Amino acid sequence: MIQLSKNYSLPERAAEFIPIKIISVGGAGLNALDRIVLDGLERAEVVAINTDVQSLASSVAAHKVQLGRSVTRGLGAGGDPELGYQAAVESADEIREALADARMIFVCAGLGGGTGSGAAPYVAQLAHEAGALVVAFATLPFSFEGKRRNAQAREALTRLNEVANGVICFENDKMGDIVAPQAGIHQAFATADITISQSVRSVVNLIQRPGLIRIGFDDLLAALRSPNGRCLFGFGESDSDNRAHEALTQALKNPLMDRGRMLADAARVLVQVAGGPGMTLSEVEILMQELGRHISEQTQILFGAAVDGRLGDRLSVTIVSSLRADEDFISQQSQPTQSSAPAMPPVWEQPHEISPEIEIESEPMPMEVFQPAEMTPFKESAPSETVPPPRVEPIPAFNKPEPIVSTPHKKPAPIKEEKPSAEKSAQAKQEVLQFEPVTRGRFEKSEPTIVEGEDLDVPTYLRKKIKVK
Amino acid sequence: MASNNLMIGLEIGTSKICVVVGESRPDGTVKILGVGQTPSRGVRKGEIVDFETAMKCVHEAVVDAEQKSDVMIRSVYVAIAGSHLKSFNNRGCVMLPEDRDEIDEQDVEDVKINAREVSIPAQNAFLHSIIQHYHVDGQNGVLNPIGMLGQKLEADFHIIHGLRTRIQNTIRCVKELPLDVEDVVFGGLASAQVILTQHQKDLGALVIDIGGGTTDYILYADGAVKQSGCIAIGGDHITNDISMGLRIPMARSEKLKIEEGSCVLGNCFPGEMILLKDDSGFAGKEIERETLNTIIHLRLQETFELLKRRLEKEPFINYLGAGICITGGCSLLNGIDHLATEIFEMPAHVAHAQTTSGVTSAVENPQFSTAIGLIKYAQAVQTDRPPRGIGRIFGKFFSGRR
Repeated sequence: MIQLSKNYSLPERAAEFIPIKIISVGGAGLNALDRIVLDGLERAEVVAINTDVQSLASSVAAHKVQLGRSVTRGLGAGGDPELGYQAAVESADEIREALADARMIFVCAGLGGGTGSGAAPYVAQLAHEAGALVVAFATLPFSFEGKRRNAQAREALTRLNEVANGVICFENDKMGDIVAPQAGIHQAFATADITISQSVRSVVNLIQRPGLIRIGFDDLLAALRSPNGRCLFGFGESDSDNRAHEALTQALKNPLMDRGRMLADAARVLVQVAGGPGMTLSEVEILMQELGRHISEQTQILFGAAVDGRLGDRLSVTIVSSLRADEDFISQQSQPTQSSAPAMPPVWEQPHEISPEIEIESEPMPMEVFQPAEMTPFKESAPSETVPPPRVEPIPAFNKPEPIVSTPHKKPAPIKEEKPSAEKSAQAKQEVLQFEPVTRGRFEKSEPTIVEGEDLDVPTYLRKKIKVK
Repeated sequence: MASNNLMIGLEIGTSKICVVVGESRPDGTVKILGVGQTPSRGVRKGEIVDFETAMKCVHEAVVDAEQKSDVMIRSVYVAIAGSHLKSFNNRGCVMLPEDRDEIDEQDVEDVKINAREVSIPAQNAFLHSIIQHYHVDGQNGVLNPIGMLGQKLEADFHIIHGLRTRIQNTIRCVKELPLDVEDVVFGGLASAQVILTQHQKDLGALVIDIGGGTTDYILYADGAVKQSGCIAIGGDHITNDISMGLRIPMARSEKLKIEEGSCVLGNCFPGEMILLKDDSGFAGKEIERETLNTIIHLRLQETFELLKRRLEKEPFINYLGAGICITGGCSLLNGIDHLATEIFEMPAHVAHAQTTSGVTSAVENPQFSTAIGLIKYAQAVQTDRPPRGIGRIFGKFFSGRR
């Protein structure tokens, strides 16, 4: 007799452990690494690499490598990438040792300084030679740090792009947008660290998590693959009732995401949705549907889903994508930041930072597609807002709706990629419209249905005075 | 002759005009040969408000049906709706002459006339006198008194009447085409013919036919019609409510109602949004699903409660062994059966015509219950007593008009 096992459930998938190492190079990298370690990361080893012994000593990383014992003698590289590179070359063996046995290596560095700019590409190269897959997390300096630093950073970034399999690049200027202007500068830097930490952890999770629909390294690389690209990255997590929506909103709020607008032009978007056992299919559906509105139809979606008991009630969304590099990227870098920018949502800062021509270049689709539909009904009432940006100096035109806009903004309204000025002013205008309190609408001209003294043609919610909004 | 067996039902509804061509089979079943329909214009709340437009639509629907069924349509059974329709139960009584004690057909006819000798408003006309039960010398529950012996014959009738002019308007609309009107039938009565089986009628059942402009209801208990009527609330009201509540155009609301609407509350995630794509003249909008459902829920809840209050004026609602059948286009709304179950506190389900063969896809839609019911009704009338159908009562309509 054949015994059939009634237990049809598959054996728990053995958490396939991929050895991952996170290598931080330079002072900024160390700060980020500290944050990563403090935030807690169980599934990867961390290594701190720096020229500066003092900062190394204060790092919480377990494994530390000092660069250039003879070149810099325990001091920093002094903002000279050449020195940083030489120091790294001197300590190449130690670095190799630190990199050994990892199948995947994340290199974190703050570009612009000496060690970060000089040593990080070299470390990445060594990692590559060691046969690991390399993803670099790099930060670009604030614009106020000077053109020289910016130039060094971009040069380093170019080299990183050559050696690493993927580069996720953070612009500090963008980070500044999410920090309240009153907040101290340390907070701005801390935000940058937090963002990097979050990204690193979510990418590690992305790969380590046993997924229902697994995201592999190949998917990640595919999402990041665009020549000299600009990385879009978003991560959101929520445990509220409406977590699917909130997590996505949060992910799109990420400074690297530009409120999801950039996604419209991306060729490939990687999305991983992870949640506790309570995550439902419909939640994922809602989320993907909502995300679908931010990306074009041609976009290839690399979708992953994972159930992780540790997440509990939380639901997390990770979005990774990249845009092809263009002048937009460069010119945004060269624009001076207005660090005294008023407390406006980041969306509104766009016109201040970049010239109107660039905006049109970078967002041709929304301009063409949405303008007629969005604007025609309001043409008479709001002529100043409807003027296309290139014609007038953008600042007065865009500043105008600001006080009205702040009200609808408080609601966690889902972000749209449409032209915000038209959209928002339209909403503001609509709120002025008052409908007659008692109206029968379609039945205005027909015989009223009066039953028990009530005109039943008037919507029930109006008669019962139930608010539907 | 095949043409004798052909029956055509015409429903001039608020949202659609629909013509069903059916064939009566010798075994008593009905075969649907074709269904023609057009979106309705010029009709509000089941009544014609724009004669010319409505006539054009009826013509289109008839032509459509003719093409689909390959039948020449000459005469139709027309369904009537509208809030002007009223009903009541009345008992007629005749005493047999001294020299005779066997009840014959003439006595049955007399008792019917007697039952209708009640005062209805002058401008109203009888639409149906539906026999419930006969009583012979106090003996209750007699179904067929012909041939029985007795002195006193009483009969309970359910009488449906409505405004003469409105009924005539509908008839005229068809006659101008020109088509003959075999009979006019209360829509709810027609629907019940295909929705309910005899068994359900005996057990007691309530049919609620929620159409575009009206909600027709008919209650059966003990195998007979006990209550019926029409409330001028329908799917249009829901659409209108959505349109006003969410401030979107009517056409959009209608689509939204059909595609996304549900009358069950708390069944969606808080904050779950529905995106309405932008269109010419309509900037896209995002609306909360719960808001939409709340609007629908409130309207339907009110309608059902109103209906319940009406039915509770008489005791029959407590004798519904077979529960509630909901039909009509609006019954396709998600969760409507749950809402009805909750409010009436008895099982309710969505039903559609079942006792037919032929074009089944047409039959399996609650939207066509009334039109198919008309055919079933026609079949019953024709086979029952060909020379004397209930339609004869209406003779005065047809003759008096011209």
